[in-house]
Amino acid sequence: MKIMATIDLTLNIWRQKDNDSLGEFEIYQLNNISTDSSFLEMLDVLNEKLTREGKIPVAFDHDCREGICGMCGAVIDGVAHGPEKATTLCQLHMRNFSTGDTLVIEPFRSRAFPVKRDLMIDRSAFDRIIQSGGYVSTNTGGAIDGNSILIPSDKAELAMDAAACIGCGACVASCPNGAAMLFTGAKISQLCLLPQGAPERHSRALAMIDAMDKEGFGNCSNAKECEAVCPKSISIRNIARLNREYAKAAFLSETKK
Amino acid sequence: MWIVRFFQSSIGKKMIMAFTGMLLFLFLCTHVMGNSTIYLGSSHFQHYADTLHSFPVIVYLFSISLLIIVSLHVGFGLNLYFKNREEGDSRYAVTKRVVENSLASRTMIFSGLFILVFLLVHVAGFTFRDEHEPISELVKELLGGFFYGSFYIIAFSVLGLHLSHGFWSMLQTFGVNHPRYNKLISSLSLFFSVFFFLFFAGIPLYFMTGLGSSY
Repeated sequence: MKIMATIDLTLNIWRQKDNDSLGEFEIYQLNNISTDSSFLEMLDVLNEKLTREGKIPVAFDHDCREGICGMCGAVIDGVAHGPEKATTLCQLHMRNFSTGDTLVIEPFRSRAFPVKRDLMIDRSAFDRIIQSGGYVSTNTGGAIDGNSILIPSDKAELAMDAAACIGCGACVASCPNGAAMLFTGAKISQLCLLPQGAPERHSRALAMIDAMDKEGFGNCSNAKECEAVCPKSISIRNIARLNREYAKAAFLSETKK
Repeated sequence: MWIVRFFQSSIGKKMIMAFTGMLLFLFLCTHVMGNSTIYLGSSHFQHYADTLHSFPVIVYLFSISLLIIVSLHVGFGLNLYFKNREEGDSRYAVTKRVVENSLASRTMIFSGLFILVFLLVHVAGFTFRDEHEPISELVKELLGGFFYGSFYIIAFSVLGLHLSHGFWSMLQTFGVNHPRYNKLISSLSLFFSVFFFLFFAGIPLYFMTGLGSSY
């Protein structure tokens, strides 16, 4: 397939003033979009056009624009972060689309992710899960010698794979049940696989699952959609590990609760 | 209490689904072994049934346990379904599923409820039956019928669909997910679905097609 230098698109974008207002789709025609531009740059072009016309630009989240911060994200034609696998929205390029395409652009939706404006959502539910136990308690003191804690390379690799999660929320957005198991599984795995995180594994698993349930996320039914859309290819193996961690903590934890 | 907290949590509920699912799967294994005596002939099957029912305490304990297990599996399944439906597919104008062959996972609640209806028909037909007719004759009479037999065949194909997601899902919920075994697990999921379909649906087919005329 020959890739054209520029394409013309019809955009069907969700516009919503704030969480209390009703939203609706608005249609925009956008011509001469460079196929070398990213999806967010395409939205920038649209917003410049809207600004010149005296209209309100489309609000969307973004920060690093190099696929590592987890701020951007929208559902493009029913797929979180769009059609390209293992790619954030900012790294999705317009060469994935053809001239004349109509794109339906919606915010990530979930009970736990209220829409703030247009394509911007409130992901603070993730922050509260992390605050409940997604950390390592460290009593600071003199710096210890390097390599005094031994970590096998295979364990380090698994932990790093889990730590690749950028918390964008695509897993929740595409889960038929709105479950946050992949996110929580990755965050629990990156710590419990390492000796620094192991001592608190029981209290962490109990607290983080408790926080996850309180936020109103759904229940995992093993549909594997999360893994399929994850821009960092986080494996559902982390959900299996989460299940094990939680069961071990619930049945074997020494704390009384 | 820790156990209440466990069963109220999202993962705890999933574990109940997986654990009761595992017990039901094991029951299917014993059931299929007993039923396979049908293929050996009516006297073998009758002998098996008589031997089994000569231990009424065991039959009673199994029946009560199964009732509890099925109730838990259905009850928690419905609870999770209605909880998850609050999210629902309708939250997007366009919904596209990226994972292929997710028919079984999407339809677990429906295949499950269909199997429940089948169970009621099955128990009504074979457990609460007229005690005077030998079971070996009743099975040929009921399952040889077109509508009854067809219903059984459809039910077993639905069971196969349910198991094709359920078996894998059960292990994933137990935390069994390892690159070395994942291929084996997905092969086993398919194998058990086909195996139970062939052995169970084979019985009505055996009588309906006339293969079992000398039974």
